[in-house]
Amino acid sequence: MKKSITARTAVLVAAAVLGLWSFFPIYWMIVSSLRPERELFGKPELIPQRIDWNFTSYRNLLELTDYPLQFANSVCVALSVVVITLFVSVIIAYVVTRYRIPGKTAMIGSMLYAYMFPPLLLAIPLLSIFAKLGMADHLIAVVLAHCTLSIPLGVWMLWGFFKAMPFDLEEAAMVDGCSRAGAFVRVVLPLSMPGIITVSIFSFLLSWTDYVFSFILINSDANKTLPVGLASLLGSFDARWGELMAGATLITLPLFILFMFLSKYFIKGLTAGAIKG
Amino acid sequence: MKSFRTTSDKCLLGAFVVCIALTLLLILVPVLHAMHLSLYRSESFVSVSTWVGLANYAYVLAEPGFWRAFGIGITFALLTIVLQVVLGIACALLLDQPFWGRPVIRGLAILPYLLPTVVVAVAFQWLLDGSLGLLTIWSEQIGIGRPAWFENPVLAMAVVVIASVWTWTPFVTISFLAALQTVPKSLYEAAHVDCAGAWARFWHITIPMLKPMLVVIILLRSIWMFNKFDIIWLLTKGGPLAATEHLPIMAYRRAFAQYDVGGGSAIATLSFAVLSLLIVVYFRFYPLEEKEPR
Repeated sequence: MKKSITARTAVLVAAAVLGLWSFFPIYWMIVSSLRPERELFGKPELIPQRIDWNFTSYRNLLELTDYPLQFANSVCVALSVVVITLFVSVIIAYVVTRYRIPGKTAMIGSMLYAYMFPPLLLAIPLLSIFAKLGMADHLIAVVLAHCTLSIPLGVWMLWGFFKAMPFDLEEAAMVDGCSRAGAFVRVVLPLSMPGIITVSIFSFLLSWTDYVFSFILINSDANKTLPVGLASLLGSFDARWGELMAGATLITLPLFILFMFLSKYFIKGLTAGAIKG
Repeated sequence: MKSFRTTSDKCLLGAFVVCIALTLLLILVPVLHAMHLSLYRSESFVSVSTWVGLANYAYVLAEPGFWRAFGIGITFALLTIVLQVVLGIACALLLDQPFWGRPVIRGLAILPYLLPTVVVAVAFQWLLDGSLGLLTIWSEQIGIGRPAWFENPVLAMAVVVIASVWTWTPFVTISFLAALQTVPKSLYEAAHVDCAGAWARFWHITIPMLKPMLVVIILLRSIWMFNKFDIIWLLTKGGPLAATEHLPIMAYRRAFAQYDVGGGSAIATLSFAVLSLLIVVYFRFYPLEEKEPR
């Protein structure tokens, strides 16, 4: 089917519009973080004439606010969530697909159900529980709260993955003298790497981008995670747009880097319909 | 069966029991606790609470504010879902065409979905800032003055809707684009032989073939959009004059600003109930047993 020139031009124009629509707010955020602070008050230039090579906005952000500390908090929380999620969901998903467990459909069903819960409605009772346990305002509370969403997600994705993996492979390993655990470690885990990577990415994403749980559970500036820290900058000093844009860019950067290297897994997880947003 | 269980089987099963018990605890306890809280009146999460039975529900449901918030939630959800689905399908069809630079545009089209909600909110607030925002300055230049983005109720709703559509449309685009690849090409070729136009091909082949998938996408979007808290909170805080205050924001205000934990939990529990209805519908369309790993 050969298309006419007009049709092809129309497609190109539409694609350009889509690209612009998707990227412009991000472009404007990054550009504004790089321009000299004074010029943000002047006439907006779509292509900045001058770049602030001293990175004043970034310096102010990193030297004068709690941003570095909050960055570290976010990294700790996200990594803990990934580790816990992987451990728990690999075991649950594997056992559910390989053993006869009574009521396993109900278990998987309740996982999927739990995954759809809106964070705010979970955060209110969680705060009440953690307050009674004296754990409110601790990062552990945030990690556990993120796990209420990331474990169901992990179990659900890995369940589909393990189900599709033929049992013959492990059987062959066991016939050759591997124990069940040996077959699991030597055969199943290496083969399920793509699934494991996908789950890691999405639990990291879930934890790194979460605003609601840490907003409700954390009070003190020193324990805030990045999204909440950035949001409180928005409230506290007005019109420090350069610093705000620098902060927003720095939160986004790790995600874009991950996406560049692992976009295959992003798409896989997205199309498995298993990601929240 | 029992005699075949080896030590490693037992370890694995033991670990499984521990993991599943902890997970179910982590999921069920908050839900049950929310219901429990909704039956008591208390001023904060640590103060003494008194049993009031269903009184919290009674007064919450009797309030006009509740129904107003419910309506606002539905308006927000409907607007965002329709726009996301229509735009998402359009973008997917576009990205399915061959054109120069397609991989780049595909990558760019996903980016908004990766952004943390906070970043979306901050980026939009910067574009719409009352004196320095790019869009404010542009609208002044084309002579419509400086729109009061966050002070006008209709504009504020439009802003939260557009920001939400901007971030979450890529979900529909990518899912639909992946599904498009599963439609057999022979169907389109046959239609082409029969001289069916592009619109007829879309309406009589693509849509019917992808209907189950479309139902799932729409349900998932509804479940998530109906209870979106962060984007609205970060952009408008439910204002101006509660014009964008839907149930989650109302629940938050109740529990944290008006020191009424019971009332807030009652609203939260009612939202759970509405949501559960949607999830039951989801399971009907997409039963677990038939789920094929893709």
